[in-house]
This record gives sequence, structure tokens and C-alpha cells, in this order.
Amino acid sequence: MLDKTKKKNFYPKGRNIDENAIIEVRNLINKLPIRRDLLIEYLHLIQDKHKQIRKKYLGALSHILKIPFAEAYEVASFYAHFDVIEDDAPSLQDITIRVCDSITCEMFGSERLISDLSNGLDNSKVRVLRAPCMGLCDKAPACEVGHRHVTKASLDSVKTVIESKDLHPQKVPGKSIEEYISDGGYEILQKCYKGEMDVDKVIEEINLSGLKGMGGAGFPSGQKWKFVRLEKSPRLMTINGDEGEPGTFKDKLYLENNIHQFFEGMLIAAWAVDAKDIYVYMRDEYPEIRIRMFEELEIIKSKKLIDSETNVHIRRGAGAYICGEESAMIESIEGKRGLPRHKPPFVSKVGLFGRPTLNHNIETVFWVPRILSKGHEWFNKQGKEGHKGPHSYSVSGRVKEPGVKLAPAGISMNELLNDYCGGMLDGHKFLGYLPGGASGGILPAEMADIPLDFGTLDKYGCFIGSGAVVVFSDKDDIKKVAINLLKFFNDESCGQCTPCRVGTEKAVKLMEKNVWNKDLMDDLVKTMSDASICGLGQAAGNPISCVLKYFKDKL
Amino acid sequence: MVDFFINDKKVKANADDTIWTVAKKQGITLPHLCFADKPGYRADGNCRACMVSIEGERVLAASCIRKPSEGMKVYTDDEKSSKSRQMVLELLVTDQPEKSDCHDPDSHFWKMAEKVDVSDSRFDKRQTNEIPLADNSHVAMAVNLDACIHCNLCVRACREVQSNDVIGMSNRGHSSQVIFDFNDPMGDSTCVSCGECVQACPTGALMESSLLDEYGKKVVKPERKVDSLCPYCGVGCQLTYNIKDEKIVSVDGREGPANLNRLCVKGRFGFDYVHNPQRLTKPLIRKDGVPKNPKERVNPDDPLTHFREATWEEALDLAAKKLAKIRDEDGSKSLAGFGCAKGSNEEAYLFQKLVRTGFKNNNVDHCTRMCHASSVAALMETIGSGAVTAPVSEVKNADVAIIIGARPTQNHPVAATFIKNAIKNNNLKLIIMDPRGQDLSRLAEKSLQFKPGTDVALLNGMINTIIEEGLVDRQYIEKNTDGYLELVKHIKDFTPEEMSKICEISPNEIRETARLFANAKSAMIFWGMGISQHIHGTDNSRCLISLALITGNVGRSGTGLHPLRGQNNVQGASDVGLIPMVLPDYLPISNQENVKFFNDYWKTEIDPTPGLTVVEIMESIYNRQIKGLYIMGENPAMSDPNANHAREALARLDTLVVQDIFLTETAYLADIVLPASAFPEKTGTFTNTDRRVQLARKAINPPGEAKQDLWIIQELAKRLGLDWNYKGPDEVYEELRNCMESMKNISWERLVNEGAVTYPCDGDDKPGNEVIFGEGFPTSNKKGKLVPAKLVSPDETPDHNYPLVLTTGRLLEHWHTGSMTARSNVLNTIEPQPYVHISKNEMKKYDFDQNETVELSTRRGKVKVKVRFDKMIPDGMVFLPFCFENAPANLLTNQALDPDGKIPELKYCAAKIEKLTA
Repeated sequence: MLDKTKKKNFYPKGRNIDENAIIEVRNLINKLPIRRDLLIEYLHLIQDKHKQIRKKYLGALSHILKIPFAEAYEVASFYAHFDVIEDDAPSLQDITIRVCDSITCEMFGSERLISDLSNGLDNSKVRVLRAPCMGLCDKAPACEVGHRHVTKASLDSVKTVIESKDLHPQKVPGKSIEEYISDGGYEILQKCYKGEMDVDKVIEEINLSGLKGMGGAGFPSGQKWKFVRLEKSPRLMTINGDEGEPGTFKDKLYLENNIHQFFEGMLIAAWAVDAKDIYVYMRDEYPEIRIRMFEELEIIKSKKLIDSETNVHIRRGAGAYICGEESAMIESIEGKRGLPRHKPPFVSKVGLFGRPTLNHNIETVFWVPRILSKGHEWFNKQGKEGHKGPHSYSVSGRVKEPGVKLAPAGISMNELLNDYCGGMLDGHKFLGYLPGGASGGILPAEMADIPLDFGTLDKYGCFIGSGAVVVFSDKDDIKKVAINLLKFFNDESCGQCTPCRVGTEKAVKLMEKNVWNKDLMDDLVKTMSDASICGLGQAAGNPISCVLKYFKDKL
Repeated sequence: MVDFFINDKKVKANADDTIWTVAKKQGITLPHLCFADKPGYRADGNCRACMVSIEGERVLAASCIRKPSEGMKVYTDDEKSSKSRQMVLELLVTDQPEKSDCHDPDSHFWKMAEKVDVSDSRFDKRQTNEIPLADNSHVAMAVNLDACIHCNLCVRACREVQSNDVIGMSNRGHSSQVIFDFNDPMGDSTCVSCGECVQACPTGALMESSLLDEYGKKVVKPERKVDSLCPYCGVGCQLTYNIKDEKIVSVDGREGPANLNRLCVKGRFGFDYVHNPQRLTKPLIRKDGVPKNPKERVNPDDPLTHFREATWEEALDLAAKKLAKIRDEDGSKSLAGFGCAKGSNEEAYLFQKLVRTGFKNNNVDHCTRMCHASSVAALMETIGSGAVTAPVSEVKNADVAIIIGARPTQNHPVAATFIKNAIKNNNLKLIIMDPRGQDLSRLAEKSLQFKPGTDVALLNGMINTIIEEGLVDRQYIEKNTDGYLELVKHIKDFTPEEMSKICEISPNEIRETARLFANAKSAMIFWGMGISQHIHGTDNSRCLISLALITGNVGRSGTGLHPLRGQNNVQGASDVGLIPMVLPDYLPISNQENVKFFNDYWKTEIDPTPGLTVVEIMESIYNRQIKGLYIMGENPAMSDPNANHAREALARLDTLVVQDIFLTETAYLADIVLPASAFPEKTGTFTNTDRRVQLARKAINPPGEAKQDLWIIQELAKRLGLDWNYKGPDEVYEELRNCMESMKNISWERLVNEGAVTYPCDGDDKPGNEVIFGEGFPTSNKKGKLVPAKLVSPDETPDHNYPLVLTTGRLLEHWHTGSMTARSNVLNTIEPQPYVHISKNEMKKYDFDQNETVELSTRRGKVKVKVRFDKMIPDGMVFLPFCFENAPANLLTNQALDPDGKIPELKYCAAKIEKLTA
């Protein structure tokens, strides 16, 4: 029914833009150029400064970028690290603590930590939020106080950190540029630049090494370079530093330890496909690494180790697992919501800004300089029984010595557990494991002799993915493990397609029931895996089908 | 062309086909929710209801977005894809309100669920606190997101189709939600109420609130539908009237060439004026002894204070008798008629024929005089044709477009959507030139807010740049134009530096804009009243025409001159001769051949001297020379400049016959009021801004004793001694098209079958020509004439006493004098009262508060009106819309005329604004 009292009297329609907010925002972002794709960077600047984003600033940003209000709001509300609030709402608390509630941290008491922190701290000054994996699974439970990470966290250790008032990211030591150069670093890259390396030979060498995409897809890297080179220039390169698969922390380690080897590998790959602009997408959960990346990049620029025509753009994620999916990451680099694209076309043809794009995981390019300096055999011989190369397994859970284990590809879980991780924690009996993080499925201890590599687990409804191996024991409730994983997917689904958006939510509801409805779960998982747009939704049902298949007796 | 297989049957696909579209051609309609299968809607592939199997692929593919490739084997009937489609619907049904209790059980969503045999769900519903609440903040649309399936169609409708950029999808995953702006209530958002989202929504989450009960359930269900046209602006949108109990209950956009299913707020929600209780339902005759007071308002709810009801016989007899008496006693020049650009071609044709053959003079004009008379004068003078050279839709092929003195997002909203589409999808670069800002500026490459009234300076500066920098199209100029050397000589002194001093746009900006335009491969120019309603309106248009001609931007794809027509049939009414100096098809009366032709055609003797124009007629009435006036559907008491003067003139008439659907401000002063039919009550042809002749169909009956206009004109004609016997609009159409070369090959039957045909048209089986003048112009030597323009200052410039520039125009929700829109519930609720629009600085300077009532005055009149801050208004200027009876802008405007177009300077006069002394 028509209600004439409804109309508010303002003109033009909708919110008026606050002139002062425009000036404030302009001042805040004045070091950056005005470009639509930098929206997320601007939002970070506002959030960092004000600890929240009032709508007047979002309005100002829309005005400056000439984008619709709705577009700015969509982006700001998509990412977990932006807090959009009304202009007249009370300010949020000064300190935000994000507590990791992903699988390993949950096993090590994140629920208790959350309740301790919520009850034990001044709620008017501190807010406690749940957050997904921050790559500190080997030191669980973990949380981030402000931008400072606290490992093996407790109420006391968090209190100490708050009292120290230093809530900034802690510096990462790592290998210096001098050390890297004295080890022969950047020699290959310079040869490439000087024309002393033949592109085709370099690609062949990478091909022969068996190097594969270590983000989880396992696509042969040399092939990828070849395909991208076939596309029209200008070609672009992206680096996926959005290591978000729960249980994965290898990229973090490699960047902490030897960031220049990563840079060199990245620059060689860019040279190989003639990409002049490289976009490195770093997850916001690794602030210390991102800061170091800026600093070290300046150093190699000043030392002219990087081709003057090549530009490296470091972009900051904002809390969205889905941006680990390459096309979602590309959307995010373009300053949009991280919605995965439909494929085809693949990003090698139509990628960032619509250009052919070479996308690589951090670890993948990390190996490139070594392969080229030591030869492809050095790399591929490190595999086991026909498997090529070394493989980085991020191991966490109920093991004595968690951490990143560089082991031969094709190693079994039992070998990894006993030879690399010092066996199970005392008092724990090996029950099962996640071979590939939240999405790679769950296998029981009885199936721990299968070689762990790309392609070896598919027949069991599992995959190795990013090599996030989480071990659990008889002390863990397999149903709880699976629910944790599905809740993670429910939180992180972009919401674009029905099977994933509704499917993950309904799956959690089904799993929380005492008795599992196997038929309905099977039907649901099937549609999720057959009909979801991207890998997230396609794999989200894996924990359910694995529990139904391998842990019947535990239901 | 690609060959592939669907369910093992070999099929063919075109380049733009998807698996879904090919399957549909094979008779397989796959379930679809997020895919609209309508022009302008990109497939998004998000709902996953249309999944199919493809041999060799691990996962299913969304058929709506997936293109077939050679040899691909697609299966739609396998278990995997069928089960998946079912599961998707089951998941979505889970959180829907129960079908028995839902917002719209007839929605597309429930049809699709039924198609895959899903009626309920095995899953648990979401938590109650997760169900979105209803948003009823908008006057015309209800938002019930409890039925939302996140298909994104409303987002695409708003952002990609109409490009109004209000709707978005916030948050992510299970928490994602359709939002307006910053998650604001729809009614408080920047929503312009086009209703495209309502038309797109497949679930009933967005619906017209007029169809719903208090619980948001659809209770009003149309019984029949009639395909017709929108009664408002010149865009000419095709629509369907949905009718229940002989009333229009809602409107849907139709796939017409000018609108592709789109509508604006007026077209979609402004239909209910026809059912307004103030409709005239009986003929009225002024009561004996009731004087005509030009300052007096008659209450349209109660006209019997001044009028008495009469039978049609009595009213028509009296009207004819009085008019005939004046004609016979005071001479035929003592009568005049104002026809109507809102009426059909047939009505306009008969009206001018009535004046010419019944009144026996050529004093017939209509509101084209107030809108594009100067544009037409310039176009006729230079290229020999007053119509557009290319339709709006051609903008998709243009590299650059200029919009000057026009605000299409308000006045031609649906045309504006195609311009916005071209910017977003086809890299069109838009140049906006207007003293006022506008919301299109956000998407424009350049936006030049020049000093009001200095159009010629700015345009001459551009022409100077283009000529000086050699950016002209020499070949085109040599082949197609006359007068280039004179123009070169004339333009020498109009340097950007000199012009900058006048128009206050920097020389650099003038040059850059000129280069952007001249360097475009193809460019179009759109203009509106901001160009035409000046005493230098014809000069303004001459400059625009010269710009196009010297750069060769006429007659090719993506080029053209397009004066945006204001009223739905202002093009057609002019074409059929509702103009004092020309006969149908613009044949000048000054040419004896033309007069002879029509003497033969109409079997009569017509007056061989041109008649007077609108403002001249008013002046003549004021001077008591013209004594009788017949007005059909026009409202000069509101629309004429210096309206006090016009109202005084109307009051002086011996006989004023007003034929209208409401008791307008003009009818207050009538002797006889004839209750006529509204647009949806009659059938006829209308010619839109693109030269498309389109058929409107009668949807409902006129109320009470109100009659169709064609009947009224004819009855009056008969009583004036004319032997007319037209059985219907089709007969009138046949007569008019047989005397008009332009309407060749466009038969009535064709319009019935095709709905729209553009003129000129080369054959009765050929589509009309969209872009014209590729092979020269309809001038004596086929060349276009370059006519240099000098600088002329506006007639009345600000001074110490009247320091501001007053400009007038429309609002999005209101049209013309508001006689229809002010009587539409929705439109009038959104913009219920007049405001004078003013800049923030001026508000400060005068110490005005928002909404404060102030006095706005000029040398001709004053109004009391509230002030409203408007960021689009530059300092030194005020804007007053001319549609409100309680603050008529035209009481203030200046009646000074353009010497060629005889159009008054409605866009510029000196004004002052003052606080009310308490």
C-alpha cells in the first residue's frame, strides 16, 4: 500500500556526500594514484587510521573514484578486515583480537582461548573475533592482537602483549640481500636480463625439473609459461601470496627465510613470459612479511637488480580465503569482491585486467632460481619412487615436531609422521589426517601408506593440495573435525553460487545433528562438487564424504 | 558456426549462442533463475539451476553461460545433471516462505521449482534471526528479501541494464544480501524508481507495492494485458498495461526498439493519473455571469463553482456556434488552435486540418514552439530536415558523444540508459556541456559547466580550434557542405582565449574538448532545451550542426545530430503539420504548389499565408485580435513564458474551448470544457525522438462521458461545416500517410504487425532507415549549409536588482506542466511540492535554511517557494521546475523570442530571491 509519509525530503536522492570527509580521504590516500583497482588499498588506509570505516568515508571514496555507493559497499563488506559502520555509531574498540579457530588451533584449545579472552579482557577496549587460519598452526593456538601475532596464546600472554602497547607486526629476520648475493643469488636473473639465458631453454629446464604449481593445483609450471607466452602481449604476472588453506604455512616460511630467492624466481618467470607488471597479492594475515617485502623490494630496485621496465606491485588482501582461488585473487587485485570467475576462459588467456596472466604460488617460483642454477635433475631427483622433486608439507596437529617438512614428493603419511615429525604426541594414538588442509579430504590412519603427491589421492576422494597435513588422534572427535572444516567453508564461501552458499550452510546444520542423514548428505555433497563454480564449493563436501566413507564407526 | 551435440543430436550454434540458447531452440528449456533470456541481461551462471553434463569434463557446466565448442557432447537428460538441477532448487526452496504463504506463488521461481518437481525441502531452514525483514520504505516498490535467492538479476538490472547504480550484493557467503547504496532503506537511497529490478526479480522479493496486501503478498492479479506505449517523453518506450476490473494496475516494459523492455519511474509507476478522481467526465459550460479572473484558481475537485454540466450535444453545439460566429463576424484570422504533442499523429493531423479548413486560417501551433522550434529552424535551414539524423541507440557505435543543454537521466531516462551502456560497454567517451551539473557527469570524460547563456561562445571556440588545428574532415566538407570558407573567415576571431573570457571555460579545456570531439572516428551530438530555449537558440543549434558537418559526423554509423524530443509525439505532431507556417511533411505554405496540393487533397481552399506561432497568438489574443481559441491538451497558462500575461490573454478571449482530461490551469479560463480521453484510452500512432512511428492501443475505456479526442475533433468539425466521416484512427492514418512522402511504405497494417517502423522507409518489406543522410541532404544541392553564429547576449541579464539567473526545466518524476504527473500517486509522493534549487554558497549568502519558504521574483512575477540545496547548481543561478501549480515557474520567465524559431527564452532570465519578511 502506498504510504505518503514515507518520503524523506532530500535532494539529490540518497545520501549527501560529506565535503570534509572527501578532504580527509584525499589526504589519507594522497601517496597513491587515484585508480579504481586500488579501492582495497584505500579501504585499508581508512581502516588502519580509524580502526573502522564510517560510511561518510566510503561515500567520499565513492565520490573520488566515481563509483556507485553500492560498489564501494559491496567490496568493503566482502572482506573480513574492514568494519563498515554508520556515521553516528559508537566507535569500535581500540584493540581487535582475531583468534584463529581453524582446525589445528581448535584442536589446541582456541574455543577456550576465545572464551578466556572474551571474559578476561575489558570489552570496552578490546573486541575478540574469530578468524580463520593465520599460518601459525605449528604453534597453536594462535591469535593476532592488533597486527601482532601471539602463538601458543593464552589469556596471560595476550594480556602481556596488550600491556606492552606494541601491537605492530614483529620484524622477520630472514636472509639478507648481502647473504643471498654472496650465495650466488640474482646471478641467474642478471643473466636472463643480459640475454645470456635462452628463454626456451629455461622453460625446458623448468619442464624437465617437474616443478608443479605448489598452490595446490599441481599444474606443470613450464607448460604454464609456454601457454602464457603464446598469448598476445602485454602479458601480466600475478603472485598468489594468499596462503589461506587451513594448516598451510610453507609460503610464509619461505618468505620469512629467504625472500630474495622468491623475488629472483618471480622475476625470472616474469622475464620468461615477458610480463612487465607483476602483482604480488599478499594475505593480510602476514603483515610482517608484507612490510619486509616492500623494504627488500626497494633495496633490489636501488641495487638495480631488477629490470627498470619491470614493475612489482604489492597488493594487500583483506581477509578472504576465497582470494586464494586464482581468478578470485585477480578480481581482488582489480579492487573488487573476490568472486571466482567462470572458466573457461582461463587466466592464462583472460586474466588480470583482461590480459593474459601468468599466475604462480609463492613456493613455485621460490624453486626456480635453484633449479636453474643446480639443474633440473637436482630438483626432480629429490622425489621418491617416480615422484618428482621435493614437496613442502606443512605438518601440524598431534605430532611431536610440527612444522614445514621438505620431504621427497610421494612420501607416505606414516613416513612423514615418524621420520620427520618425531611421531605422535605422547598419549595420542594416530587416528587420521588431513592430507591437504580443509579441502583435501580426511583419511584414516589405516590409509597412511599412500604416497602423498599430486594425483595420488584422487581415487580416495582426497587431494594433497597445498600440502597442509593435519594429524589427529584418538583424543579428537572426527565429527567435530569435519564440522570445523565445513564451518570454515560456510564462513569463507563467496556466496556467488547456490550449491556452495546454501550447501555449506545446510551441510553444517545436517552435521550438527546427532544422527547423520547419509543419503541426503551424499546428494548434497554430489551437487556441491558437481555444480559449484570454483574449487571451494567443489571440495567443501570432501570432509563429509570422507567421514561417511572412512569413519563410519565413529558416527 | 559450431556443430555440437545435445543428447547425441547434432545441433548448430552461432557465435553468440550458449548451450542454453541452443537447447531452447531444440525445445529444451533448461531451468533458469539467474539467467533472464532478455536483451541487456548478461548470463551470470550463478544459480546453477541450468547445469548440464559435458563429455570429458569432471564437473557440470552452467548452460546459460557456457559456449559450445566444435564436437562438444552435451547431455541434459542424464542423472547427474538432472539431480543437480533438482538439488539446487531444493536448496533454494528450503529458505523460501511456504508457497501457500509466499509473496508471489506465480513467480518464475515457483514455476521453475515445479518444472523439476521440487515443492518442498529435506533441509532445515535458516534461523529466524537470519531472515531479512521487509523494507517498505519506498513508495512504489516492496522489498521482501526473505524470498531472495541471490540470483543477482536485480543487481544487473540496476547496474548493468539501467545503469542507475544503486543495488549491490553486500557481504559474502550465506550472509550476502541485496543492498541499496550503503545498505540503506530503498526509499532513502539514490534509487530513481525505474522498477527494472522489480521487472527482473524472479521470486517476488522485489515487487510493485500496489499489487500487494499489507503482508507483502501479491493479491492484485491482472486479468488482461494490452500492448501499448508510454504516454510520457519522446523516447517512445513500448509497454504493456496490466488491467484488472477495467483499471490499470501495473505496467511492464516491452521489447520495443527504443527501450528493450526498460522503463523509467514515469512509465512504470505514473499510469494511475488516468484513474484520478479529478478526471473530467462530463462536458462543462461556464456558468452565466461567472467572470474569467486570470488570478483565480478553480478547484478541480469541484468545478461546479464556475461551470455547469452539459450534454455533449449542447457543449459541442455551443462551442461550434461561438467559434463560427467569431470566424464569420470578426474574420477568419480571429480564431486559433493549439494542438497537442501528447496526442496521436491522427489527432494532430485532424486538428490542423480542422483549423486550416474549418477556421480557415493557419493559426495552429503546439508546444514544439516551446521546445525545439529553434532546433528545427536551424536544422531546416542547414540540412533541410528537422528530425534527428540517427536514433539514440546509435550511440553504441559512437566513440564520442556530446550532450549539451540536456539532462537525459531526468528527462529521457531510458534513452540515458543506452548512453550509459555505451560508456560502460563500448568505451564511449561522453562530453557533457551544461551550466548545471548532472548525475551523468560521473561517467563523463569531460564535463564543462559553462556560464549560462554563453553556448555560442563555447561552441565557436571549439569550431575555431578544430579549424585552426586542421582537425576538419576536408573530404566531407568538400563533398557535403556549403559555406565553409565563410565559416573559416567568420570563426577566426573566436579564439578559445577570447571565448574563454565569455563562457568561463579555460582555453585549454575548450581546445581539449574540441580535439576529443574532432578526433573521434564517429561522434554524435545530443541536445535539449538548454540549447533551444534561448533567444539565440537557433544560433546554438547552428553551431552544433557546424561542429558535426566540419568533422563529417553525419550520415554514418555512430554519428548524428539528435535533438532529444521532449514529448511523446512532438516529432509526429510537427510532421503532420501542427505548425503555422508549414503543411504536413513540412511543406511551406509560402510555396503555392503546396497550397494547391492541399486544396486538391482536402477539396477546399486554404489560407495561403502562414499563421501565427504560440507566443504570437497569445500576444494577438492579449491585443484582442484573436478572439476564439480551441485548445486540445495543452496548458499555456502553465507552459507559456510570463504566464501572468498569458493568463490575462486567455481571460480576454471571447471563446475558449479546452479539450482535456483534467481541469487544467488553462481550463479555469475556458468557456467550454470538453472531457477527453487519456493516452491508454485510445488507439493511434506516435512518432518518437528517433523517427520511429509506433502504435499505441486502447487499453481501457474513458471514464464517465469522456470521449476520444478524435471523435471530439470530428464532431466539432462537422458543426463547423466540414463533411468528415472518419470511422477510426486507421482511416485518418491512411489519409495522412497518403499526403506525406516521409510516411511512405509504413502502412497501418504494418504498424499493427510490427509495432514500430522508422521513417524514412525504402520498402514495405524493409526496415526503416535508422541513420540517414549518408548520401547528402534533402536540400536543393544535396549539401548541408554551414551557418556562422555571432554572439548574442541573453535578453535579460542579471543586474543589481535581479542578481541571479533563473533557469527552468523538469524533474525526473514530473512531466510538462504536471497535469498528469501531479495526479499520479507515486510520482507526486516522490516529488510533491515545488522547490527552488540553489547552491550551498548562495544558501549561505542569503542565510537560508533548507526548506525555508522564500520569495523568488522577476520583473514579471513572484512566487513563494521552499529552498532546497542542490549540488548541481552553480553559484549565481537558481532552478525552478515548471510543473507545480502552486509556484509556477512561468509566472517568472521571459517571453523574449528567438528571431528564427520564435521560441521564448525559458532557460534564462534575471531573478532575485529574498527571505520572507515575517
